[in-house]
Amino acid sequence: MKYDPDEIKVSRRIPIIKYGEFLIVSIQVDMHDRLAMELQTQILEEITKTNARGVLIDISVLDTVDSYIGRMLYGMATMASIMDAAVVIVGMQPAVAITLVELGLDMPGVLTALNIEQASRMLRKKMKNKK
Amino acid sequence: MTEDLKIKHFLERIEKIEEAMITVATGDFSVRLETPIEDEFTTVEAGINLMIEDLSEELRQREEREKELREKLSTIEKQKQTILQQQEDLMELSSPVIKIWDDVLVLPVIGTVDSRRAQIMMENLLQSIVDSGCTMAILDITGVLRIDTQVANHLIKTVEAVRLLGGECIISGISPAIAQTIVQLGIDLSAIKTKANLQEGMRYAFQRSNLQVRSTSSDNDNLDEI
Repeated sequence: MKYDPDEIKVSRRIPIIKYGEFLIVSIQVDMHDRLAMELQTQILEEITKTNARGVLIDISVLDTVDSYIGRMLYGMATMASIMDAAVVIVGMQPAVAITLVELGLDMPGVLTALNIEQASRMLRKKMKNKK
Repeated sequence: MTEDLKIKHFLERIEKIEEAMITVATGDFSVRLETPIEDEFTTVEAGINLMIEDLSEELRQREEREKELREKLSTIEKQKQTILQQQEDLMELSSPVIKIWDDVLVLPVIGTVDSRRAQIMMENLLQSIVDSGCTMAILDITGVLRIDTQVANHLIKTVEAVRLLGGECIISGISPAIAQTIVQLGIDLSAIKTKANLQEGMRYAFQRSNLQVRSTSSDNDNLDEI
């Protein structure tokens, strides 16, 4: 497979913002498979670099999610959790939720929240319990 | 000479009969064969007259029947449209999502649920959760009398989809008959929170949202706390 320089440029456009103990990732472009894989690696690297305890992935503007992206999100949540960081998927659209359930990707054990506010509250509570 | 005349006369009669037949064939049943004198052709002509009459009568009856059938068909068509319209209205009416508290939605389900209605219910509920920002949803199925595998599957999918959105969905009011069906069908509901009735469901939802309901009457010492 050839590396398309344009694709790499696009992948850099998804910013990973450090906010306290959390990382906030807002996906605002249509995901394609390579971009998703790169994002996964980037986030995991960022977790080690910044010692983040939680990752909030906002997908509220994603209208469509295919099985690959769904699996990627699920995989990322599992990977982060064994690195001791909780992943919360935030703001999923109803249509996306229906698609994922129909695909059988119901992501057991993954935290979800309606909005960033709820997600950060959820993570804080979780951290307090751990301590 | 008389023979010739007779033949000429016969030919004329035959021609007349032929003409009448042609007129009938084109659809005009008003012709009748008139006989001024009685001869060998009279019976034939009478027979033909009778035949024409029978034919026109038959045709009239057929047209009448056809008209009747057409009328019936249009009535049925109209009724069909009314039924479809009502079905649609019922669909819209039958899945209301009610916000009962700051963070709690209730979807009461009453009547028969087919997979189309289940699908609409699921979409309505998910959209309401996103719109209202409520995290607790109670799917109350007290009013559901029967359930099949497909519908049960839809219920499970709904609960899972709500969880993916970031909410929590519980099912309340599972009747004995439905409990029996679910277990007999081998459907696993263990991953889903189920509550005995809507009251218990609301109690659980309030607890999850850190809410308390208590009596305010002063002469009541033991507070009805939940």
